[in-house]
Amino acid sequence: MFFALTDEQRALQATVRDYLGDRFPLSAVREVYDDPSGDGAPAELWKAFGEQGWLAVLVPEEHDGLGLDLLDAVVLSRAFGAGAVPGPWLGTIVAGEAIRLAGSDEVQKTWLPRLAAGEVRLAFAPDLTQPVEYAGVADAIVAVQDGALVLLEPSDYSVEPLAVMDRTTRLGRVTVTGGGTALEAGSASVVGSPVDQVLDRATVLVAADLSGIARESLTRTVQYDKDRVQFGRPVGSFQAIKHHLADLHVSVTMAEHGVLFAAHALDAGLDDAKQAVSIAKAKASDSAREVTAAMIQYHGGIGYTWEHDAHFFFKRAKREEYAYGSASEHREKLAKLLVDD
Amino acid sequence: MDLTYSEADEAFRAEFRSWLDANLPQEWRTHEFWSTKTEAQSFDLRREWEAKKAQDGWAGIAWPKEYGGRSGTPTQKAIYDEEMNRAHAPATVNTLGLTFLAPTVMAIGSDEQKREIIGPLLRNEVIWAQGFSEPGAGSDLAALSTRAELDGDAYVVNGQKVWTTNALRADQMFTLVRTSQESKKHQGITMLLIDMHSDGVDARPLKQMTGNEEFGEVFLTDVRVPTDRVLGEVGAGWNVAMLLLSFERGSSAMGQYVLFRRQLDAVIEMAKANGKAKDPMIRQKIATIAGELELLKLHSLHILTQVEQGRELGFEASMTKLQWSETHQDLGELSMDVLGYAGQAVPGTPTRDLGPMQEMFLWSRSETIWGGSSQVQRNIVAERVLGLPR
Repeated sequence: MFFALTDEQRALQATVRDYLGDRFPLSAVREVYDDPSGDGAPAELWKAFGEQGWLAVLVPEEHDGLGLDLLDAVVLSRAFGAGAVPGPWLGTIVAGEAIRLAGSDEVQKTWLPRLAAGEVRLAFAPDLTQPVEYAGVADAIVAVQDGALVLLEPSDYSVEPLAVMDRTTRLGRVTVTGGGTALEAGSASVVGSPVDQVLDRATVLVAADLSGIARESLTRTVQYDKDRVQFGRPVGSFQAIKHHLADLHVSVTMAEHGVLFAAHALDAGLDDAKQAVSIAKAKASDSAREVTAAMIQYHGGIGYTWEHDAHFFFKRAKREEYAYGSASEHREKLAKLLVDD
Repeated sequence: MDLTYSEADEAFRAEFRSWLDANLPQEWRTHEFWSTKTEAQSFDLRREWEAKKAQDGWAGIAWPKEYGGRSGTPTQKAIYDEEMNRAHAPATVNTLGLTFLAPTVMAIGSDEQKREIIGPLLRNEVIWAQGFSEPGAGSDLAALSTRAELDGDAYVVNGQKVWTTNALRADQMFTLVRTSQESKKHQGITMLLIDMHSDGVDARPLKQMTGNEEFGEVFLTDVRVPTDRVLGEVGAGWNVAMLLLSFERGSSAMGQYVLFRRQLDAVIEMAKANGKAKDPMIRQKIATIAGELELLKLHSLHILTQVEQGRELGFEASMTKLQWSETHQDLGELSMDVLGYAGQAVPGTPTRDLGPMQEMFLWSRSETIWGGSSQVQRNIVAERVLGLPR
């Protein structure tokens, strides 16, 4: 019985956080924010991702990857959420999973080693009627079309760039003009068809990012409310605030547990993996929404300004809340499992 | 991450499960059986059964062998709680003695106290109550005013305790009293072990909103308590109480998880039967509570891991308490939402007090109060975990 991160995973977490604190703090995020016409994908950061192995994490060793577990990728995603990190990491990783799980040998050989090295950037589109993250900079897009996975290369589509509310991402409207390459080599496993497996893994990675946002927002708010004095006392000493922050701490802790377990459940092919994925996404979405809203509220006026960092977290949490199923959509999935089956 | 149990743990589970199969009567596993018993009958049945369980070696799971325990791991204690609930076994009648007093006596009791207290507790021969709360000292426990004055070889105790579980059935009560007036209210407090059969002890029942009378109030009038019945040092009672309460810290909520999950299943079955399972709001609530219960289980696994790895435990117990008590209250509300107006009528015979869902609904209101109210737990989380100022 061991429900925790291993020493290696904790070390990985520390490495990412140290790197971001050092080389890509929120002031660097702000530069991306204040350059809406830029591609939102800082080249130096991407290079570091490749060098550090943060893109190779799920690529099998035979394709020059690290062949680690989804739980290891979750450690990364959580840290990127905590840092409000921009760039096409998630799309690249998820598209890579689609290629790994359902691509032919040739497709895998073509894409995975380059993906692991940081030489290509990919996008993943679970629904082409919706805006697609980083479609504009992607070297290819893996999309779900008619319930199947398709690899689209730039000659197969055009992208109309869109302005975004959360500028830690970039969005584009994708119009498909060509046929692409069907990814249909994969087989169903205990956790579902290849499409389901890819979507479940993407869902957990987004939930991990949300749990990172939630923890970081809570930590920053607690720190501020220890220092901020009104009525001659730190505002964090008022029970109206501290009790809510305590509830949020419980909520974030539960979200973290849920995310770690969902990743493990997919890694280990546990029977209740589907349930675990929906619990994780619903909880992390709710938790991040509440904490980031509290972050603004408990900073007072400054928390509502462009100058303060609170809106980075608030907007990112709101975007991710609706990615790969909202909280209420996942609860309805759970209800189907619990009530209808 | 490895959520499998060791071979030793699985063997432990199998052995206990087969003991329960052989020793827990089938009819005991139904609400109907218990609802036809008076509280006194129920208490006696449970007490006797628990004593037999102890006789067969299924008590003191995590206690050291030298005290008659099994020297089991924290995980085995969690498995034990899980299996007890899975089998619908009745809860212990001696929680306060077993969970809190026994480990405290093991840690700081005199040799004589260890001999006198631990064995009889293990065999369920002596029932213990906890004398902490008073009319003027609830969440603010250190405001207690029950006084103990030294008179020769005994303390003379005067005061009143309230919300005392097992007040009428307990043989002994570990009790916080004020032995001296100090400038700070946490000082001058002493933990006394009071014989409930002494002259001057008057225990009266208090009727709860469920209609049950499992707690009561205890009036203490010139009760003589020998000086060797002090647990720990005189005047150090506050620290003794904190040590005592800390033994809840590493405990898991696996038992609650199994019980609540089964209660949720019953609510789901009811919703399917009466059509409420099609209501989107009810479906959202079912899913929310199911999720919170799974997260409670994960939190228990997290705590077990910390304990087994010998890592420093923080104030996780406050989070555990908030998570299970608040979720259980939501489950109680959901059960009423599902029953609708029909839930106003008690199912079964007209003599029956309450149905299982009604009892859960009402009882869950107490759970966010006893053992440290949700507001006290939030103070602990905010101040001790998040470091927010008082």
